[in-house]
Amino acid sequence: MNINFFSLDRRKFLRGAGVALALPWFESFTGVARAVQRPVKRKRLACFYLPDGVPMPLEKDPAFKDWGWFPHGKDKDFTFTKCMETLKPLRNELTVFSGLSHPAVRRVHGHSNADQFLTGADTGADGDYQNSISLDQVFAAHAGEHTRHASLVMSTDGGTGSPRGAQTMSYNSNGRPIPAEHKPKRIFDRLFVKRNLNAARRLALSKSALDDLMEDARSLKRSLSSRDQETLGEYLQSVRDTEMKIEKAKRWLNIPLPRVGVDHLKLDVTPEDPRNYLQTMYELIYLAFKTDTTRVATYQLGRENGVGISDYLARAVGYKATHNLSHETKKPGGFKNFGIYCRFINEELGRFASRLKATPEPGGEGNMLDNTALLFGSASSAFHLSRNYPLLLVGGRNMGFKHGQYLKYGQGNKKHQSTSGISTDAGWRAEMDYTELPLSNLYLSMLHKLGVETECFGGSIGTLSEV
Amino acid sequence: MRIFTTLLFAFLSNLTLVAKTGDVPKAKLVAFQTRVEPVLKRVCFGCHGPEKQKGKLRIDALDPDLLKGKDVSWWLEVFDVISNGEMPPEDSKVQLTDAEKTRIIDWLSGEILFASQVRRSEQGHTSFRRMTRYEYKYALQDLLDLPHDFSRDLPPETVSEDGFKNSSEMLQMTVVQFEQYRELALKALERATVRGDVPQPVYYGISMKAAATRIDAMYAANVEATRKRVKEEGIALEEALEKQGENYSRNHGGAHFKDLITGQGIGTRWSYGGAKYAWTPTSTRPKVPPALPDVVVIPANSKYIVDVGDGLPDVGTMRVRIRAARVTPEGKHPPTLRLFFGNQASNDSRVAVRAGERDITITASPDKPEFYHWDVRLSEIARNAYRHIQKLGQLPNPAEFLYFQNCSSTPVSVQIDYVEITAPVHEQWPPESHTRIFFQSDHQADEKKYAREVLARFMRRAWRRPVTAAEIDQKLVLFAKLRLQCDDFQEAMVEVLATVLSSPKFLYLVQAGGVDDKKESRRISGFELASRLSFFLWSSMPDEQLLNLAAKGKLLDPLVLQAQTRRLLADPKADRFARYFTRQWLGMELLDFLKIDSKVYGRFDPLLMEAMREEPVAFFGEVLKRNRTVMDFLQSDYTMVNDRLARHYGLPEVIGNSLRLVKLKASDRRGGVLTQAGLLAMNSDGKDSHPLKRGIWVLENLLNDPPAPPPPAVPEIDLADPEILKLTLKERMEDHRNDPACISCHSKIDPWGIAFENFDAVGLWRDKIGKDPVDAASVLFNKDELRGMKGLKDYLLANRQDQFARSMVHKMAAYAMGRPLTFGDRSQVDRITADLRKRSDGLADLVFLIVKSDLFQLK
Repeated sequence: MNINFFSLDRRKFLRGAGVALALPWFESFTGVARAVQRPVKRKRLACFYLPDGVPMPLEKDPAFKDWGWFPHGKDKDFTFTKCMETLKPLRNELTVFSGLSHPAVRRVHGHSNADQFLTGADTGADGDYQNSISLDQVFAAHAGEHTRHASLVMSTDGGTGSPRGAQTMSYNSNGRPIPAEHKPKRIFDRLFVKRNLNAARRLALSKSALDDLMEDARSLKRSLSSRDQETLGEYLQSVRDTEMKIEKAKRWLNIPLPRVGVDHLKLDVTPEDPRNYLQTMYELIYLAFKTDTTRVATYQLGRENGVGISDYLARAVGYKATHNLSHETKKPGGFKNFGIYCRFINEELGRFASRLKATPEPGGEGNMLDNTALLFGSASSAFHLSRNYPLLLVGGRNMGFKHGQYLKYGQGNKKHQSTSGISTDAGWRAEMDYTELPLSNLYLSMLHKLGVETECFGGSIGTLSEV
Repeated sequence: MRIFTTLLFAFLSNLTLVAKTGDVPKAKLVAFQTRVEPVLKRVCFGCHGPEKQKGKLRIDALDPDLLKGKDVSWWLEVFDVISNGEMPPEDSKVQLTDAEKTRIIDWLSGEILFASQVRRSEQGHTSFRRMTRYEYKYALQDLLDLPHDFSRDLPPETVSEDGFKNSSEMLQMTVVQFEQYRELALKALERATVRGDVPQPVYYGISMKAAATRIDAMYAANVEATRKRVKEEGIALEEALEKQGENYSRNHGGAHFKDLITGQGIGTRWSYGGAKYAWTPTSTRPKVPPALPDVVVIPANSKYIVDVGDGLPDVGTMRVRIRAARVTPEGKHPPTLRLFFGNQASNDSRVAVRAGERDITITASPDKPEFYHWDVRLSEIARNAYRHIQKLGQLPNPAEFLYFQNCSSTPVSVQIDYVEITAPVHEQWPPESHTRIFFQSDHQADEKKYAREVLARFMRRAWRRPVTAAEIDQKLVLFAKLRLQCDDFQEAMVEVLATVLSSPKFLYLVQAGGVDDKKESRRISGFELASRLSFFLWSSMPDEQLLNLAAKGKLLDPLVLQAQTRRLLADPKADRFARYFTRQWLGMELLDFLKIDSKVYGRFDPLLMEAMREEPVAFFGEVLKRNRTVMDFLQSDYTMVNDRLARHYGLPEVIGNSLRLVKLKASDRRGGVLTQAGLLAMNSDGKDSHPLKRGIWVLENLLNDPPAPPPPAVPEIDLADPEILKLTLKERMEDHRNDPACISCHSKIDPWGIAFENFDAVGLWRDKIGKDPVDAASVLFNKDELRGMKGLKDYLLANRQDQFARSMVHKMAAYAMGRPLTFGDRSQVDRITADLRKRSDGLADLVFLIVKSDLFQLK
């Protein structure tokens, strides 16, 4: 693609339309204007969190063959168990990982760890609490300027939850939780219906205030030596950049919201009807991506510890509650029950991924899945062990992700690969006599492929070349 | 090296003469050629000349013109190594005679001083900078009369090469940060100003009798019955207890309810589920009962939890009052309580943070319990996000709790009989923070007039200088514009005031005007001086008194300035100077990130870490307050400890959690900063000592003689080599040092660090490492020998006092100026150093000397 021609076109277009705008705004413009003909290269990221881990029977357990979450085999040569069978059509679009976890909390009870799944922070077990920016928000800071919403943050339980009991996967640059939306109707309205009148008023107030601050800076500048004027230059630039952002935000107010059919959506559905609820949440992400309303989404399927309405999810496959499935694995048929639930979860994830795959990239190349990376996983394996996270990466071919493989990392962890290596509820405390790699190594690799230039993220010590 | 000081005095008088003549300044090149060069040629050129260039230095090629030449930094190096006796090396065949040494130092120090003066106006750094994060916090607190910390979300500052956070070249502004300033300004003003009537507080009045009854009504009834028997049947307590049945033990380990009359007790209980232990607030204040014999006893390291349900408001100040006493009337140790606030939403979702900055030491005797209280800002602690979403009793649990932790380091208990919680509390309504901005005025009815008044007063304080009519008019224009979009006067005004606080005129420390050659035009104004002084000593904006003196033009009067400096130092706000300067000077941030290995140091605890962090700050505060000599930082016969730290050091018993001065004996092996546990620990790796870190720290932070950074591709110590593993640490370092690539730097660093080897990773004395005796003897580059810590201290006091004094001046001046010092400042630093040495090195004197110096008062 010839960049110069491209921006020249846009400049012409803008002049024709009678607006003169600074360059950064162009980017946002391409996101919505149909006038631009050339293929656009969008990159998207969606992250999903499954609480309470997955079934991991020991090798000697009769359920091992069919109902362990991890596939059998490795690299290109692996077979799905019944747990993941529902993802078979997407086999060449996905990678399964084992031997990855966040080092700081490997000896903290799994119930406390959803908070740090996307951050890698040392969130501890009790006392004072500090988190750090999440993977999706790093990418949103990079990709968010192109779209009306920088990111979409959702969970089944909604809000922020509590420290070590998160109900959101997303944390801002100060490590504070970003409240998640959980009502489909509200999410739909925010994305496609509501005009935010208060936002318009705030923008107007900001505009006047910025003009005034610019005047302050200019009058101060006149009284400074030339050397100090240079220092103040940073302030002036910051005011200008903010003005630009506000300009951009104001544009969005005037650009019509994308029109989206609602007939197929059950916007009043609640988690008490879990299958439809899950499908609706996935569909909202699909629509937000398709209309380029955002390129970043997180969806936490449930809060840890079975507390909250997300515990109803297993009702979709005939169980009373979800969390208990993870505890009752040692009862007869326990692993199978838990496995059937995971199979359902994978089925819905697969449905969403397939829908992206079946949709050509609007104005771009390939299908939507080729330009979307889906990360799916949990911060504990089985029995609350905060190691060997079950992880899936789906899609993103156009970004260079290699798929159709089951990658195993770590050393001396053979026993802890496709199983958790433990079989009791107290096993999570055990010392680690094997090694795993930091999950953030995968995150850093993802950020690079997503186009974020950064040297480290969340305690990463390198990248994963196989990804 | 006394030679340095004496020479300094001689040249200072010289200098004034030169400066007055007004001739074009010239370097003394003839003196160099006739008197200095021949000596250098004989002694130095052999290794640093045409044949060899050791250390990549060729002295014969250096430009002897320090005024215009480019080799100033090399000459400074030459000056340092010769005056410190490091060169020529002791084993060299050629040596300097004393007369020759004097001749070189003589010429060099004169030229350096002179060149520094001349070059001052060309210097590359300026004090124009924005506030640091902590200065911003204090400035908002002092300006708005609010206790809140609005700076928490601002990014941390990058530290300068000198270790300072207030260094102008590091204090950047980005669009993200600018937007944060705008948000924070609005948030702070919305917190400062109020609307409507005084908010109705909620109250909790909890007697421990009620609390005990609640967990076990049988217990309460039993106690009641026992008491009744004693009273009505007139029998002895033991008999009554017998009759009543010994169901309730009189001995408990943890926190427990206790009846002081019968001695019966029962352990406290709490769990998060079902809101079983949650108290409900009332809207009227419960009557405070007279002191009751039913108490909760909290032994050391135990806590008592008060579950407040979901009844607390979102914002405002919560006052937590307790009626308490120490359990034992005698004994030296009064117990100390710390308040925590937190919640447990579900099984594994817990959080608790310290609330209220101070701990409370309970001194009341059991027969006379007294009220104590904490004030907690509800908007600044970890609140439960499930409040008003979940119902009390549901899961996740929306309730909150506070607890009293007995954090005494000796086994002393506290007893409490009544807890009262009020939120929000207001001393007055509207609060001072509101009336400071929206004060009473005859013009309140006339919005425009009143807006002008409000702005004029606020802007002068916020911008720390008189504001011009044009500046006020500009804000009034903004007000008029915003007023149309806002519902009322106050809303619009708050928006306008927020621009005052996100203006560069608030955020930056300004010295107006260009710089030219004339000294008087470079003098900063009275207002600028007021700001420079208050940011130096208070880390915040000047108060009304300073501004008024500046307005009257009196602050420039040396006597007034001195009196004001004294006043600022005497104010509690000067604690910020002790804290921030000490922490930055000594690089103490490392201690915040240090993790002590609990496998090696099982008895290490958070109370000890706290005391270790406080000791250097308290020590600096003590030296400053009493104007003690700065040499006390090298060695002193006292230090600042509390009971926990005294125990760590093996000192005689000290009482309580607050640090105080204790005298040291030589056998205590402490004194000065070199042997303070926190600083020793900070320069360890949490497991063992780290001589390299300690050596670099002495050079960088104490002597201001930073070693060169390691070259690229330094060979690592090969720990896989079994021969290397057999070596002791000291031998390993020596082995590494013998590598030709490492020797030049390490021979300068290692000996300093090895002298610390008797101190382990938590700063405890040791005679052995494993089975081997400690070897803490080392030889400096100049062949001076250091025999352990005592040897190091003796050496510094005997040979490096000038260097250390100069280093103190340099560090404090850099902090005071908020910029790195350059060669151009050297003459000023030398002058202040000479004056400081004349005045017996008093630390407070150093502050006065800096404040009255041209360095401080010129741009």
